Amino acid sequence: MADDTKVPTKVRLYRFRNVLRDKVGFGAALGGEQAKIDPKALEQANAALEQMKEDYPDWVQKHIDELRVHHARSVDTPTERVRRYAKMREIAHDMKGQGGTFGYPLMTTFATSLHDFVGPRAGTTDSHIEVIKSHIDAMAAVIKDRVKGNGDEVGQALTKGLQAAIERYSKIG
Amino acid sequence: MSQTLDLSRISCLVVEDSTFVRSLLVACLNALGVRQVKIAEDGGDAIEFLKLQKSDPMKAGVLSIDIVISNWQMSPVDGLILLRWIRRHADSPNRFVPFIMLSGHSAPNKVAEARDAGVTEFVTKPFSVAMLAQKLQMVVERPRQFVHTSTYFGPDRRRRSETFSDNERRLLTEKSPGVEVING
Repeated sequence: MADDTKVPTKVRLYRFRNVLRDKVGFGAALGGEQAKIDPKALEQANAALEQMKEDYPDWVQKHIDELRVHHARSVDTPTERVRRYAKMREIAHDMKGQGGTFGYPLMTTFATSLHDFVGPRAGTTDSHIEVIKSHIDAMAAVIKDRVKGNGDEVGQALTKGLQAAIERYSKIG
Repeated sequence: MSQTLDLSRISCLVVEDSTFVRSLLVACLNALGVRQVKIAEDGGDAIEFLKLQKSDPMKAGVLSIDIVISNWQMSPVDGLILLRWIRRHADSPNRFVPFIMLSGHSAPNKVAEARDAGVTEFVTKPFSVAMLAQKLQMVVERPRQFVHTSTYFGPDRRRRSETFSDNERRLLTEKSPGVEVING
């Protein structure tokens, strides 16, 4: 006979054996003691990160060069603009994700702005092309001068310059 | 003396749309001792991979994924959608898999959004190796029970079992009627 007094389950708590601990070689054998990540492995991982930080400006520069090619083709071949915009958007998307990780948040700011600017509804006039160039120039300046962090005066000048270009050409638009 | 973790048998899925950060994460994980690292370029790519891993692990090249490390901001399918899919979808190979979210968002409401979707650990970008290592250690050493209610499925959002000097305000304990404990 069914138990009419049974309360329906509202909450289930799942408590599973820690299989990951088995995989790292301890399981129950270690008892309550906490295991740590090997300090030598941490050092190696830090070395890998530092190495990649050094490579970051070169990696970004390649992307900036690609953007310049797409910009140049947009200037001399207006019928190509929509297709070139899509390419530039892909590149900007890749760039905007990691500037902060490597100490270049301004790169993320400018790449995000470019990514938004060349979106699906972007205008394709010559003025718009000029704004794209302003973005690329600002990014190039960040890398050339190694403007880390928000760059204090240099960074602010670059940001203001880009904003002014966007406003100026948007009015002409 | 504390023991060191041997991560060589742990398999990770890294989901990151930036090629550079993806390479960075893989290099860091390898240096920390994780040998098997699978990669996906965005949440959609990860979902396809996890489906394949469930249906044909040999073809996927991995029997199981032990830890997912995912960026949040990706398109077209972001990390939060991926997390929800893993926690809720019938095709998910492991709804309980630890999920470490990487994000440029650090605002409390965004962290809460990830927590309420069932995230295991949250890492704010820019991240450090020490932070990533610490989160891996937490996942391995301090797994939390999973909670399933009508509105939530994921790791217990209460990290500590606190006692209150005031009246107990929590409505349910494991001994309450309507609470079922499943051990496995």
